[in-house]
Amino acid sequence: MKTSTPDKKWFDELIIELRLRQVDGAAIGDTVASARELLADTGQDAEDAFGPARDYAASLELPRDDRGLWQGAALWSSLAGLIVFLLFTQALVPWARGEPLLFAPAQMALLGVTVLLIALLPLYLTAAIRHPWLLGLLFAIGGAAGFLSSVVAPATPDEAWLVLAAAPWLAGSAAALVLVSLGNTVRVLRRGSVDDITDPLQAPASRRKRSGLVLALVTGWLFPLFAGLMFALVTVFLR
Amino acid sequence: MTTDRPDAPEPKPGEWPSDWLRATLGLLALRALEAGPSYGYAIIAELERNGLGVIKGGTLYPLLTRYEAAGLVATEWRPGDAGPGRKYFALTDRGRTELQRSRTDWARFTRATTTYLDADRPSKENFA
Repeated sequence: MKTSTPDKKWFDELIIELRLRQVDGAAIGDTVASARELLADTGQDAEDAFGPARDYAASLELPRDDRGLWQGAALWSSLAGLIVFLLFTQALVPWARGEPLLFAPAQMALLGVTVLLIALLPLYLTAAIRHPWLLGLLFAIGGAAGFLSSVVAPATPDEAWLVLAAAPWLAGSAAALVLVSLGNTVRVLRRGSVDDITDPLQAPASRRKRSGLVLALVTGWLFPLFAGLMFALVTVFLR
Repeated sequence: MTTDRPDAPEPKPGEWPSDWLRATLGLLALRALEAGPSYGYAIIAELERNGLGVIKGGTLYPLLTRYEAAGLVATEWRPGDAGPGRKYFALTDRGRTELQRSRTDWARFTRATTTYLDADRPSKENFA
């Protein structure tokens, strides 16, 4: 069935609301399919038949899936990946130039803002998704903090609060990036799926589900992938 | 106080006060499944055909979802002939027992209310 534009918007909102309620993908697929079935039978608009998507999602009282990707291990491993990646990027250029790794308190505080924004994600995720301006604001704050941290980075060891040898930190952060990604891979494989929204009439081991799994596995290796790319570029141009 | 409201419009057939429907929809939905498994639109059409008004999907599906969670109904998806698949709802044994219990209770309740509302019945019998 082709979905009209207002209905598409309604279904998009319904899926977001159910995701925010940590309803698992199979139950969301069931809800969407049964709503589509009724609309096909009655010819009604989704809003007329079911009311506002947010209210309808709440009225279904579907059970929460505690293994949700929005919380728990997924968030903390992403946060760990980000912290280690930030450390890797800080150590890379000094290592290539044969210089020590320098830190100033202001620089670390600004890097901490980005880490804090991610760590507190569960507190404001719902509000950020419902209000795109808030999401934009958070991205702007994260971007500004990242830029300012490079501005206030110390140029010489005399200006630095902390002076570290770059090579061990570079090697250590690279190893930690691989470990975090390995942990992500094990977690995704143990779970066996990425909690895709599935059509209730579709076979469980469909190609779509497998491709979703592959995508989740690749996503888990993005930090090491970018780190490798940066390492290659710096080695070519700065060494 | 008078209950005579000459300005109030006559309700159309099948248009009942929403709180009446809210109170009875659970029982009516179980009854609609008594003859065998059925799907959303067929349940709505069955209730409408029997003069109970047009029930919205936004009212019926949350109720059926709660009944499924409570084990009163079981669901099964079947492929559609041309359109999308259909989700069939069927009464479980527990649902059938609940229907019988609710039906008996409802009959007692309506007998009591009908007797009390009877226009010929003295309204102040306690003071007689």
